[in-house]
Amino acid sequence: MTETEVAALTRAYIVENFLYMRRDFRFQDGDSLLVSGVVDSLGIMELVEFIGAEFGFEVDPAEITEENFGTLAGIARYVVAKRACTGTA
Amino acid sequence: MCGIAGIARREPRGTCAETLGRMAASIRHRGPDGFGLFLGPRVGFASVRLSIIDVVGGAQPLGNEDGRIVIVQNGEVYNYIELRRELEAKGHRFRTHSDTEVLVHGYEEWGEAMLGRLNGQFAFVIYDRRSERLFLARDRFGVRPLFYAVSGGDLYFASEAKALFASGEVEASPDLAGLDEVFTFWAPRAPRTTFRGVSALEPGCCAVWRDGRLETRRYFDLDYPEAREEPPDTLQALDALMRTGVSLRMRADVPVGGYLSGGLDSSIVCSLAAAASPYQLRTFSVTFDDPGLDESVHQQEVAAGVGSLHLVQPIRRETIAQVFPDVIRHTETPLVRTAPAPMFLLSRLTRDNAVKVVLTGEGSDEMFLGYDLFKETAVRRFCLRQPQSRSRPRLFDRLYPYLRREAQGGELWRRFFLTAGSADDPLFSHQPRFQLTARIKEFYSGDVRAALCGFDALQELRGALPASFGRWSFLNQAAYLEIVTLLEGYLLSSQGDRMGMAHSVEGRFPYLDHRLFAFAASLPTRSKLRGLHEKAVLRRWAAGKVPPSIAQRAKQPYRAPDAPTFFGPGRPEYVGELLDECALARTRMFDPQAVAGLVRRCEAGRATGFRENQALVGILSAQLWHHEFFERPQTPEPIAIDRADVVLREVDPVGAGPNPIPSGARG
Repeated sequence: MTETEVAALTRAYIVENFLYMRRDFRFQDGDSLLVSGVVDSLGIMELVEFIGAEFGFEVDPAEITEENFGTLAGIARYVVAKRACTGTA
Repeated sequence: MCGIAGIARREPRGTCAETLGRMAASIRHRGPDGFGLFLGPRVGFASVRLSIIDVVGGAQPLGNEDGRIVIVQNGEVYNYIELRRELEAKGHRFRTHSDTEVLVHGYEEWGEAMLGRLNGQFAFVIYDRRSERLFLARDRFGVRPLFYAVSGGDLYFASEAKALFASGEVEASPDLAGLDEVFTFWAPRAPRTTFRGVSALEPGCCAVWRDGRLETRRYFDLDYPEAREEPPDTLQALDALMRTGVSLRMRADVPVGGYLSGGLDSSIVCSLAAAASPYQLRTFSVTFDDPGLDESVHQQEVAAGVGSLHLVQPIRRETIAQVFPDVIRHTETPLVRTAPAPMFLLSRLTRDNAVKVVLTGEGSDEMFLGYDLFKETAVRRFCLRQPQSRSRPRLFDRLYPYLRREAQGGELWRRFFLTAGSADDPLFSHQPRFQLTARIKEFYSGDVRAALCGFDALQELRGALPASFGRWSFLNQAAYLEIVTLLEGYLLSSQGDRMGMAHSVEGRFPYLDHRLFAFAASLPTRSKLRGLHEKAVLRRWAAGKVPPSIAQRAKQPYRAPDAPTFFGPGRPEYVGELLDECALARTRMFDPQAVAGLVRRCEAGRATGFRENQALVGILSAQLWHHEFFERPQTPEPIAIDRADVVLREVDPVGAGPNPIPSGARG
C-alpha cells in the first residue's frame, strides 16, 4: 500500500468522523491536524485506533508523536514504514 | 428569598392585578409561602415569598411608615440586625423583624449609598413616590437575578425572564448574540441575555428609572490591590472572616442545611455551619454511578466528622435526560454541560426534607485560585517563556489527573495548550476554554452565521475590561475573567439560583462575602497558588478543621455525564424529536446535516471528547429552550388577588401628608 493510498483512506475517515460539521473545510496533507482544529487529543486517540485496525498493526504509545500523527502526510509515512517493518506491507 | 416582578408605566395609566398575578404565577416556584401586590397608577409590584426571616411579619411588598417608599426584595441582607440597630438609633421605627424593612429605612436614611453597607445576596426594587422614581439594585456578585425590559415606554422587571413574558406585554424572541456568548463563555454576559430586548441588571450595579429612562451605574468594582508580602496576621484574619461569613449566613427563622460535595470548600462550610447550628445540621450530596465522577467516600467522611444527618441523591445516567427539559425551563438559557441537572434533583431532595436554605462552597475557587485553569495559565506562561524547552511542557501532564488517561498527556495534548493564544492577549488565561467551547459554532446554520456576522464575543469582552485590568497580575486577571464570564452567568445562575429555586431552595454562599473577596484579592497570588498547589492559604487555615485527607485533597471539579445520558437505554422521546431534520429546520439555529453526523456519532458511542459532548448538550438544550420559550410559550393562570397575603394600594398623591397605605385582603 502506498502513502497516497493510506492518506486517501485516512482522509475519508477524518472527513466522515471529524469534519461532518465542517463540510466545506479543506485541508492539505501537510496541514497540522491539531492546529487546524481537525482533531483534539481524544480525536487523535480515535484516529490511532482506526489506523491500527485499518492497517493491521498495533500502534506503540511512544509513536504517538506530532511527527507521526500531526499531519495526514506524517500518518501516511508512518503507516507505510510501520507496515514494512512489521511485515504487514 | 422570593420572586419579584413589576411594571413601571411612563404614564399613570394604571397597573392591573391580573397582569401582575400572572407574572407572579410564572415564578411561583421561587416563593410558594406567600403572595403580595402593590397597585398604583404608575407602578405595580408582585411578590411571591419564600419565608425565611420573620416568617410571620415579613410579607411583601412592604412600605415605610408613611407609605411613600415601597419595596419588593428577592434575597437576604445578612447584616440586617446591625443595620437595624443603627437605623433605630437614628429614629426609624420598624413594624416587622424582616431584613427587607431594613432596606426601606436604609434607603430613606442613606439613599443609594446604602448599598455599600449591605452584606448579602439580594435583588430589590424600591418605588420612591416622593421623586416618582424606581430604584433597582443587585448584589455584588449576582447571586440573585434581576431581569428587565422596556416595552412601549414602560419598564418591566422580574426575577426570571419568563415573568416578563407572562405579562403579555413583553415579546419573547431569541437574541443570537446571547446564544453566541453561551457558546463562547457557557453563559450570556450581563447585561446581555439570550432574549432580545431583555437585559440582566449587572452584578454590583443599581439603576434608576425616572421619566421613562433607565440609568444604570456600578456601585461595586472587582479590584485586586495585591500586597507584596502576606501580612503576618493572615490566618487570624481569614479565620474571623470565614467564621462570621458562615454565622451571618446561618441567620434564618427556619433550619439551614448544607450542600456537601466532598471537596475542601463545602467541607469547611459544613464544618463551620455544624458548629454554629443550634440543631443537627442536615447535609445533602449527589452521588454518581460513574466512579470517575463520584465523591461519596469523601462526602461520608466529612458528614461523619461534622456529625450531620446526611442525605444523598443518587444520579444515574438516564436521570439527567429525564429532567433536562425542566432544567432548561428554569435556566432559561441553553447550556453546554448537563451539570445543573443533578443540582436540580438535589434541591428537590432538600425541599422534600423540609430544608429551604442551604450553605454551599461556591466562590472559593474564584477567591483562592482553586480551578485547574489557573494552574494551566501559569504553566502555559512558564512554557512560552522558553518555547524550545522540552521539559517544561511535561507539566501539563500533571494538570488533569481526573480525566481519562487517554484524553490527556503526550506531545499533542501539550501542543493544544501552547498554541491556544498569545501571552499578550488579555484573555490569554481563558483562550483554551473559549476556543474549545466555540467549536459548537461549527454546527451553526447559515442563517445564524449570517445574523452574527460582525459579532465577536471575545472582542466585546476585551473592550469591556476595566482600566485597572492591565495593572493586575496575570493570575488575578484570570480570576477576574472567571468571575465575569462563568461565576455570574453560569455557576450562580444556571447551576445555582435557578436549580435551587426550581424547588424553592435558597443557596447561600459564604465565600462570596464581599469582605472575604477584598481580603483574598489583596493577598499575594503565591499565597493562593503556590507552585501547582491551589488554595494554599485556605488549606493552611483549614488544617485541623476538616479531616486531613480532605484538607490536602486535590481539587476535583464537579462534573456530570453529558452526551451518553441522552443516548442510553430509556432514551426520552424528545431527544429524537428535537434533533430531527424537521425540528432543526424549524428553529433554524443549526445545520441539520451536521447535527445528523453528531447524532450518528453519539448513537455509536463514539462521541467521547469534550468537543462533541458539549456540542450535543448545547444543541439539544438550545432546541429545548427554543421550544419552551418561542414555540409553545405558556400563559399561566394569574394568582388571584383574593389569595394575596398583602395588597397595598396607592391611594392619594404624595405631599398630602402621611399616607399609610392600607393593607387589603388577608394582610
